Amino acid sequence: MPQVRILAKNFMDMVAALPATKLDKLYENPFICEAVLRSLPPLAKKYALQLLFIDSPISAKTMEGWVLADGISKHRVAIDRLLQLRVFLEEIDRKKESTYKLNPKFQGNIQKYLVYGGSLPRQPMPSNVTVRLPTLEDLETYVLEQWEVATAAINQGFLLQLISSSQVEKLTSFSASMMKFFQRGLLSARENEAPKLTENGFQFLLMDTNAQLWYIIREYISTAEDRGVEQMDLISFLLELSFHTTGEAYNLNTLTDIQRSVIKDLANLGLVKLQQGRKESWFIPTKLATNLSVSLSDSSARKQGFVVVETNFRMYSYSTSKLHCEILRLFSRIEYQLPNLIVGAITKESLYSAFENGINSDQIISFLQENAHPRVAERIPAVPENVTDQIRLWENDRNRVEMTLAHVYEDFPSKEVFEATCDFARDMGGLLWEDTDKKRLVVRGEYHQDMKDFLRRQK
Amino acid sequence: MAGHGERGRPSKKHKTSDHHRNNPVVVPDTDIQSDDDDNARGDSAAKKWDFTKLELKADHANRPLWACADGRIFLETFSPLYKQAYDFLIAIAEPVCRPESMHEYNLTPHSLYAAVSVGLETETIVAVLNKLSKTKLPKEMVDFIHASTANYGKVKLVLKKNRYFVESPFPEVLRTLLRDEIISQSRIVPPEGSQGGDAFTISKTMGEIEGRHDELLNEADLAAVVEEKETHSFEIDPSKVENVKQRCLPNALNFPMLEEYDFRNDTVNPDLNVELKPQAQPRPYQEKSLSKMFGNVAGRARSGIIVLPCGAGKSLVGVSAACRIRKSCLCLATNAVSVDQWAFQFKLWSTIRDDQICRFTSDNKERFRGNASVVVTTYNMVAFGGKRSEESEKIIEEIRNREWGLLLMDEVHVVPAHMFRKVISITKSHCKLGLTATLVREDERITDLNFLIGPKLYEANWLDLVKGGFIANVQCAEVWCPMTKEFFAEYLKKENSKKKQALYVMNPNKFRACEFLIKFHEQQRGDKIIVFADNLFALTAYALKLNKPMIYGSTSHQERTRILHQFKHSPNVNTVFLSKVGDNSIDIPEANVIIQISSHAGSRRQEAQRLGRILRAKGKLQDRMAGGKEEYNAFFYSLVSTDTQEMYYSTKRQQFLIDQGYSFKVITSLPPSDSGPELNYHSQEEQLGLLNQVLTAGDEAVGLEQLEVDVDDIALLKARRSVGSMSAMSGANGMVYMEYKYDPSLSPNLPTTPIHTFTPFKPNIL
Repeated sequence: MPQVRILAKNFMDMVAALPATKLDKLYENPFICEAVLRSLPPLAKKYALQLLFIDSPISAKTMEGWVLADGISKHRVAIDRLLQLRVFLEEIDRKKESTYKLNPKFQGNIQKYLVYGGSLPRQPMPSNVTVRLPTLEDLETYVLEQWEVATAAINQGFLLQLISSSQVEKLTSFSASMMKFFQRGLLSARENEAPKLTENGFQFLLMDTNAQLWYIIREYISTAEDRGVEQMDLISFLLELSFHTTGEAYNLNTLTDIQRSVIKDLANLGLVKLQQGRKESWFIPTKLATNLSVSLSDSSARKQGFVVVETNFRMYSYSTSKLHCEILRLFSRIEYQLPNLIVGAITKESLYSAFENGINSDQIISFLQENAHPRVAERIPAVPENVTDQIRLWENDRNRVEMTLAHVYEDFPSKEVFEATCDFARDMGGLLWEDTDKKRLVVRGEYHQDMKDFLRRQK
Repeated sequence: MAGHGERGRPSKKHKTSDHHRNNPVVVPDTDIQSDDDDNARGDSAAKKWDFTKLELKADHANRPLWACADGRIFLETFSPLYKQAYDFLIAIAEPVCRPESMHEYNLTPHSLYAAVSVGLETETIVAVLNKLSKTKLPKEMVDFIHASTANYGKVKLVLKKNRYFVESPFPEVLRTLLRDEIISQSRIVPPEGSQGGDAFTISKTMGEIEGRHDELLNEADLAAVVEEKETHSFEIDPSKVENVKQRCLPNALNFPMLEEYDFRNDTVNPDLNVELKPQAQPRPYQEKSLSKMFGNVAGRARSGIIVLPCGAGKSLVGVSAACRIRKSCLCLATNAVSVDQWAFQFKLWSTIRDDQICRFTSDNKERFRGNASVVVTTYNMVAFGGKRSEESEKIIEEIRNREWGLLLMDEVHVVPAHMFRKVISITKSHCKLGLTATLVREDERITDLNFLIGPKLYEANWLDLVKGGFIANVQCAEVWCPMTKEFFAEYLKKENSKKKQALYVMNPNKFRACEFLIKFHEQQRGDKIIVFADNLFALTAYALKLNKPMIYGSTSHQERTRILHQFKHSPNVNTVFLSKVGDNSIDIPEANVIIQISSHAGSRRQEAQRLGRILRAKGKLQDRMAGGKEEYNAFFYSLVSTDTQEMYYSTKRQQFLIDQGYSFKVITSLPPSDSGPELNYHSQEEQLGLLNQVLTAGDEAVGLEQLEVDVDDIALLKARRSVGSMSAMSGANGMVYMEYKYDPSLSPNLPTTPIHTFTPFKPNIL
């Protein structure tokens, strides 16, 4: 069974992977066109605008001539991207040469947008209605809180016992279906057993927030139809959200029914904050929502690092987060917890338990590097070399022994039979070891049936 | 299969990470950590220490440290208050590890004792700690400090006119002490006790109290100010001083005695007219350690231990101390070579005249001249219990009768407690200064040092000294040499248990790595290389095969001098092989590369001492900083055969250095895979030949008994007693223990032939 691969790619990659018909349908929404345009790499953006008012196809050769020789690789990347997103459509002309033209729907929408400008289906609510809106800082804290709770929920079975009861209560506000899809692939729940984190679950915990968010959103979109939501509607709503202004209030009654059900889930994830006034309710997009299409995996949006690793394998983490503590516990021994510092040590034993859970050394090292405290982040390397080396060496140590299921055969009646058996096993490629003196051999487990048949024939 | 031979290599664990299990109020023996802890720690250490309830102060970002209820303290080194906080913490707590960004310290009863003895008072300690702490101090810690220090600093031991007095400003404390049987028996009641036995002599002295703590933060000055105090005292029997001191320790009456020497007012002992030469400029950390010893009160000196890394200039500190006290000074070194070096240092740094200094060793018995002088000798000469020659007896008698202003003790970490006791009972001194580089002992004797000499006064931070350019910036590396198949097969055989060490040391891959490194450093960098091997069989085999000179226990004095001279001056001799004799005290400032091919089990101290051989900073700081960032200018390689016991030991050995902030880079690809027959033992035949050589050599020749995990050099005697051949093979003869072997009660199995050390040693002179 194919495993769920966690790829920290961005939103647009997902859009690009949609089937052509769905993509074309998306381009009916001018906001999506704009969002796609914004997401393009600079050269691709330039090409798209260059062809905006040209209706006839341009040959690939001509376009190649637009760039200097050393820009050719960038050119290829740009063209590939445009084709993936179906912003460019490729046609083969009579001379059997490729030509490109803009996707007409895309072209039309962007042209209109340029000429008439765009306007959102809803406007921010006047401040006399929404008396006290949260400040941007408040929103930031809200995002972090929501996110911790959400992440914790994903790992519920694992973290619940370690997280204080107040947070557990908070968790229950999640809808059961949300939980289920969160946990899909990250938790394995066998019957009568406490759910256990899967390999992916551990990897998920080690990813940075943006990558985690992306993973969740992707899961959310791909399961949309199970919840009776059209995938296209969801994508276009998410993209539309990214054009809203952070911190402004938007009336909930401007949303469709579907969107209204979606917005509750998004609030759980911290993409929006819901508030209720005396008569009306509104939602306030947070940074997570407005950055969704642009910088999901953009490093600039990353939170400040907090981990200091010393050459003596001590690890000091400036964090108040219980979640951080639990993440660190995955591969280190936590020794002290102070109000704003977690002290731990990376030990062979702690790493071995991490390896056993399917975390590999690269993930641990990149987690430590990406979350390096600003004090040490400029240092090169941010994590001492001897520590990273040792983590890798410990991992290699585990890989020196290869386990092979095998059977041992002994008590051969004669040397001839023994040798014939050895030859037979060797011919199959299953012979692992032989001892001529004691007439014993070891053969790979998968050949056991063949061996049995062979030995029976010898009698 | 491959991992078969490995004996559970311990992970790089933290030295004292389980101190926190000690209830701080119960007196834990926290200042040394026996190696067994490594094993005990294991799984139970997962227990978490949750101090999240501590209240963060609003301006916590500006404060440099966290203090935990169990005595552990974490210090940010990037805080603007780091320097001040460091000076303070080093005075009140025991450093656990000091890497780059975050230091850890432990508050222990002993460390607090040391704090009080340098003049800090309980309230000051609490107040300053509270100031520096990001959180409110845990109540447990405050209570602990109070409990540990309530009695500290109340009693002083003073030597006046060759008589010992116990002094205190609090007569009730003296009464408490006298209720103790041992102490009351030691008391010498004044003959004309007009007011009965309870009366104390009352006098006025200049006492000191700590400066206000707010100054402390501003100036980081642990200075003391003068105040006049009335003191009460009684006299005790000089021969029972140690018993009295011991009764006063925290585990008994808990009134640890401070020892101070009011040398400025000492009119009885003649002055020694010496000064530091103008060019002797103590470095900042040397100055600091001296200021801890002398405080701010002119004319008073405290006893204690100063810890500075090798090569950081301990001798200048010693000489400076002698020049400040300006009274007779007895300087004790571990061996005859050191005696010469100390005498040289005195002449180098001070204006001492030749007639003011004399050396007293088994073959160099200079008589005292004048009534104040510096005498340099060895511990063994003073502590020797057997029959001495007439000449020696005379000198010892003079040492015994003199009242020494300063007893200067070098390398205090190697000298066993019983020897200290003996030395201290023989010599009467006002002030004792112990010097060492590594206050680690794998045994428990550090605690003894605490009352035999005094508290630790100062301990320098290695990394800070490296950054300051005072000691070399060393790249440490652990080179992993896989065992060849044939060697490993033999290694695993039971019948070869006695040859295990020889097998992993003689591993052809190790030999090739060593040869490669020597070639590389000689040819590419023009370095001077020392190769250390504890296993004498290996030392000989390597040195002969590579055609390099070697020095071990029985190398004659002339031969050593010749080899070392060549190593220093000849461009053709760039590598020298040393056995254990080179661990301490051989001064080879030219060397900047060490390759260690075999070592003494898990001794953290040996590792640090060996590293110390190349720590002396080479060249000027500016020159070394030429490329902007200082490059490594010294290299320390430890060659270990993978999957053998060596891996296990190696991790242990490195612990001390790792705690000082050094890191060991693991190198797995030496020699490079493309190296071929230009290095020895390339072909399998050669390798098998070598294997055969190891296997056919008698167990006697190669089979070093496995020693207990670290035994200090002197303690090695025990092992030698049980295994006769070991002393001969380990190269351990000579140096410190040489002077023992004439004690017939100690080692009946010792070889009867004289064993040569640096200076030819004539057994009949003592």
